[in-house]
Amino acid sequence: MALVLIDGKEIVVNQNETLLKAALRENIYIPYYCYHPALSIVGQCRMCLVKVEGAPKLLTACTTYVSELPKEKKIDGKYDMKVFTKTEEVKEAQRGILEFLLLNHPLDCPICDQAGECQLQIYSYEYGKPRSEFRFEKLHAPKRVDLGEHIVYDAERCIKCTRCIRFCNEITKTGELTLVERGVHTYVDVFEGKKLNNPYSICTVDICPVGALTFKEFRFKERVWFLQATNSVCPECSRNCSIRVDTYKGEIMRIVPRFNPYVNNHFICDYGRLITERIKNNELREMPSVKEKDILKPIIEKEFYKMLLSKITRKYKLKDVLVILSGRMTNEEVEAYKVLSLLLFGEVLGESLYITGDKDEILIKEEKRPNYFGEKLLDVKFTKENENVLSLIKDKKLVISIREDIFKGMNEDQIRKALSSLDAFVVMDAFFTETAKMSDFYIPLANWFEMEGTTFNFDGHLQKISKCVSPPKGRKPFYDVVSTIMNILTEMETKDFETDKEKEIESVKKVLESFKDRDVMKGGFLTWFKEVKNAIPQIKNVSLKDIVPLGFSIKGSKDGNS
Amino acid sequence: MADQERILTANIGKKASSDIDSAMQGGAYEALIKALTRMTPEQVLNEVKTSNLKGRGGAGFPAGLKWSFLPKEKNKIKYLVCNADESEPGTFKDRLLIENDPHRIIEGIIIAAYATNANAGFIYIRGEMVLGAKILEKAISQAYERHFLGKNIMGSGLDFDLYLVRGAGAYICGEETALMNSIEGKRGEPRIKPPFPAGYGVYGKPSNINNVETYANIPTIILKGGNLYANLGSKDTPGTRLFGLSGHIKNPGIYELTSDVTLRELIYNYGGGILGDKKLKAVIPGGSSVPVLTVNEIDVSMDAEGLKKVGSMPGSGGVIVMNETVCMVKALLNLIKFYEHESCGQCTPCREGTHFLRLIIEDIENGNGKEGDCEKILAICKNIMGRTICPLGDAAAMPCESFVKKFRDEFEYHIKEKRCLPETSKMTTIFSV
Repeated sequence: MALVLIDGKEIVVNQNETLLKAALRENIYIPYYCYHPALSIVGQCRMCLVKVEGAPKLLTACTTYVSELPKEKKIDGKYDMKVFTKTEEVKEAQRGILEFLLLNHPLDCPICDQAGECQLQIYSYEYGKPRSEFRFEKLHAPKRVDLGEHIVYDAERCIKCTRCIRFCNEITKTGELTLVERGVHTYVDVFEGKKLNNPYSICTVDICPVGALTFKEFRFKERVWFLQATNSVCPECSRNCSIRVDTYKGEIMRIVPRFNPYVNNHFICDYGRLITERIKNNELREMPSVKEKDILKPIIEKEFYKMLLSKITRKYKLKDVLVILSGRMTNEEVEAYKVLSLLLFGEVLGESLYITGDKDEILIKEEKRPNYFGEKLLDVKFTKENENVLSLIKDKKLVISIREDIFKGMNEDQIRKALSSLDAFVVMDAFFTETAKMSDFYIPLANWFEMEGTTFNFDGHLQKISKCVSPPKGRKPFYDVVSTIMNILTEMETKDFETDKEKEIESVKKVLESFKDRDVMKGGFLTWFKEVKNAIPQIKNVSLKDIVPLGFSIKGSKDGNS
Repeated sequence: MADQERILTANIGKKASSDIDSAMQGGAYEALIKALTRMTPEQVLNEVKTSNLKGRGGAGFPAGLKWSFLPKEKNKIKYLVCNADESEPGTFKDRLLIENDPHRIIEGIIIAAYATNANAGFIYIRGEMVLGAKILEKAISQAYERHFLGKNIMGSGLDFDLYLVRGAGAYICGEETALMNSIEGKRGEPRIKPPFPAGYGVYGKPSNINNVETYANIPTIILKGGNLYANLGSKDTPGTRLFGLSGHIKNPGIYELTSDVTLRELIYNYGGGILGDKKLKAVIPGGSSVPVLTVNEIDVSMDAEGLKKVGSMPGSGGVIVMNETVCMVKALLNLIKFYEHESCGQCTPCREGTHFLRLIIEDIENGNGKEGDCEKILAICKNIMGRTICPLGDAAAMPCESFVKKFRDEFEYHIKEKRCLPETSKMTTIFSV
C-alpha cells in the first residue's frame, strides 16, 4: 500500500497494482490503448505516459508500480510518489503518440464500423492535434483479411496494441495470432495453417480499440451511434453472462459482453453472442393457434383461451398430466406457472428438462438452461440428464410444454405415435418450433429479449434480464399469459361453466380466493418479481436496484469463480 | 598517453590464434585455473568490482555491479549470456575477438560463471557472422575436450555448459531483452523493464548479460588484479578498449587503447589522418547511435566523462570519420534508413517515428524539403526520445537531433537550394575498409 498524490488527489495504490489501474479505479482518467485489465501488461502503445516527480523521463502508468518509501524519504512527509497527468509535457507526449498512430492510419471513419466507439477518434478529439504534418503517402497494408469464420482484419487501421494476440495466448490459450513483419510494416496475422476460430474469437473485436478487427455478423450493418443499448443476460447456458444488447428500430443488431466480475468478467462466447443470428432463422407465429383437421389455425385470443380452458380443465387424473418446464423460464415465469398449475390442477405439477452439453474451462457451462439453478431454488423437479421425452409422454392424456422444443431432432413417426394417444398437446414457446407445429394448442410467448425477468446462474447469482425489443402484440411474457387465463377463467366462472360443472367452479373459486392477497390478477413483471421474492426466502430483502447492473449473489462470496 | 598496449588483442596475429593449443601457449585459461584453484567466487566477484570494469556494449554499466544483482542462492538456476550480436553501424571490434581469440571470451564467461554460480551460458552471435560462429563452435568443443566446460570443471565442482545461439540478422536482438526473447525462439522484441534480466532473464530465470569485449577483459583482471586494472588509463572507464576506426581515415581498423586517448589523437596519430588529406567535417565517436561531433569537438578523451562534455557518449567504440566531402543530409538519411528498417515495431514512437523521420530526411535529400522541416525533425526526435520501451528509439533520435542541430545550415541549404552544398556534391565514397 502506497500513498500517491496524483493531480493533487490522494489515492492508495496497492501492492502489485499499477499506477494506471489505481488511477482508473479512482476515476482519474489516463488514456491508454494496449492495456486491458484482463490481459498481461506490455507497455507498447505509450499512450499512458505520465510525469512522475523525480523521474528523468515520462513513465508509462501501465507499467509503473509504486513501492512504499521509508518514512524519512517520503515526499512532503507522506507520499510515496507524486504523479502529474495533465502537465504540458504529458500533453505534448500524448499529442506526439497520437500523431504517430495516425501517420499511416487511413482515416476511413465514414465507412468504419468502429466509428463512434473508436478510441482513436475519442483520444484524437480529447488529446490529439488539430492537424497532421504528415505530407507523405500513407503506407498500404493488407485489408479485408479473413482471420477466421467471423473475423475480418484491416492492417491499415491497426495500431499494433496486440490485445487480440494476448487474448488468444492468455485467455483462450489457443495462440492463433501473431505479429508478422517488422517496424512500420508490422501487422497481425494468423500462424500458417491456423484460423482464428476459437469459441471466443469475436471477443478480439470487442477488445480491439480501433476498427482493425470487425466481425462479419455486424460488419456494415448499422452505425453504432444509432444503436440503443439495453443491459441483459445471455440465455445460452447457466453461466448467465452479462451482456449489452444493441438494437436498432426494434431489431437486435449485436450482443456485446458487459463487464461483471461476479459472472463473466469481460468476455462472452461466440455461441452466446451469435444467438442474434439464430433468432433470425427461427419461424415465428404471432397468434395463438388451435389444431383443426390437422392444421394449426391462428385464432383470436379470447376464443382461443376459451377453447383451451374448456379442454384442459376437464378432470384429468394427475397421473395423466405431464407438464414439461424449461430452465429457460425466468423466476417470475416459474412462479406464475405455479399459480396456473394450482388453478388448473389444484397442485403444482411439472418437471423441468435437465439439459447438458459441452463445457469449457473459461465460461461455457455444462448445464445449458440459463435458469436451472433458479428453478431448483423454486423447488421445481428435474428430469434425468438429457431424458428421452418420449418415454415421459407414454400413457399421458394431457401434455403441456413450456419454452422447450422437446422434439427437436427426433424421429417424426415416433413422435406422432406418442402423441396419438393424447387428448391435448399444448405448447407455449417463443418460436414456432418443430414441437409447436405438432401441438393442438400453441401459445406464442415473448422471447428472452422481449420480456423482463430475473434469473439465477449456476453460482446463485441473481441478475435481471431486460426487455430489449418489444414483441408483437400476440406474443406475451408467460406471466401475462397466466393473467389472461385467470381473467378468462373468472369470466367463464359466471357464464360457460354454469350448467354442468358446478363442482369444478367451486374448486377454481377456492384457488382464486387463496390468491386474493397476492395480487396476481394485475400481472406484469414487477408484480411477479414480488411473488418471486416471497417464494425465495434468500432474496426477500433484495430490491430490483440490487440486481441492476451487476447482479446479486445469494450464495458464498461475491467473487464468482471466473 | 602510453603507446598502444595490447591486452585484449595480445594473442591476435599469432599463428592459429583461435586454436586452443596456441591460445594456451599465449596464456589462455591461466586466469580460469587461478580463479578455480586459488580464489573463492566472492573473491572473483570482488576483483571484478575493484577493477571498475565498465560494460563495453554501449551503456557502460559497471560489470561487477551487474553480476552482483544475480541472486546469491546456489540452488537457483541462473544463466549467463554473452552478447555477440554486434551490429551497430561502425562497430566491428567483437568480430575481431570472436574470430581470432575465442578462448579469451570463453574463459571470461567461465570465470563469470564461477563468480556468479551460473548453471549455463549462451553466446548469442549475430546471424551474419558465419565464420565467427564456426570458430566459436570449434572453440567451445575444444574447451569441453579440455574439461574447461561441462560437469565438475577441472575438479572444482563447478558445472557449466555453454551454448552457441545464432541470431537471424536483426539489429534489435542486440538489445539484451530482445536477445533473450530471440534465444527462447520468440519474436525479437525488447521486454519492458522492470523486471530486469537479473531477476527475469532467459527462460524467465535470473540472467546476466555482458558484451563480448567485457567478458574478454575478465581473464586479465583475474591475472593482474583488479587494482592494477582500475588504474589503467582513464579513471572512469579503466582498462583498454577496442576502438574501430572507419570512414574517411587513412588507416582504418581496430585499435586497442586506453580510454584517456583523445579523439584527435585517435584520428590523427593512430588513424594516420583524414583520407586524401582533406579537412575533417564530423565524427561519430561510438557507433552510429551516439550524437555526432564536429571538428571543434574532438579534443576530448574517449571515456564517458570526456565525451559527455561535448554531448556524446563512448558507446560501442566505433569511430566513424567523415571528411569535408560528406553531405550530412545523405549521411543521416543512410543512418535513419537503417533504424527504420531495424525498428521492431513494438512500440509506437519508434515504429512510426523512424518512418516519419526517414520520409522527411529523404525529402530534404531529394530536394523536396519544406520550410520548417528541421523543426519537425527536432520535434519528432523529442517525441521519440525517452518514450520508447528500449534504447533503439533514442539511438535513432539522437543522431538525427545532433545532425540537425550541429549542421543546421547544411540542412537549411538543402531545403532552400534543393541541392547539396557545392563542396559535398562529389562525396568521396570508400570502397574498401
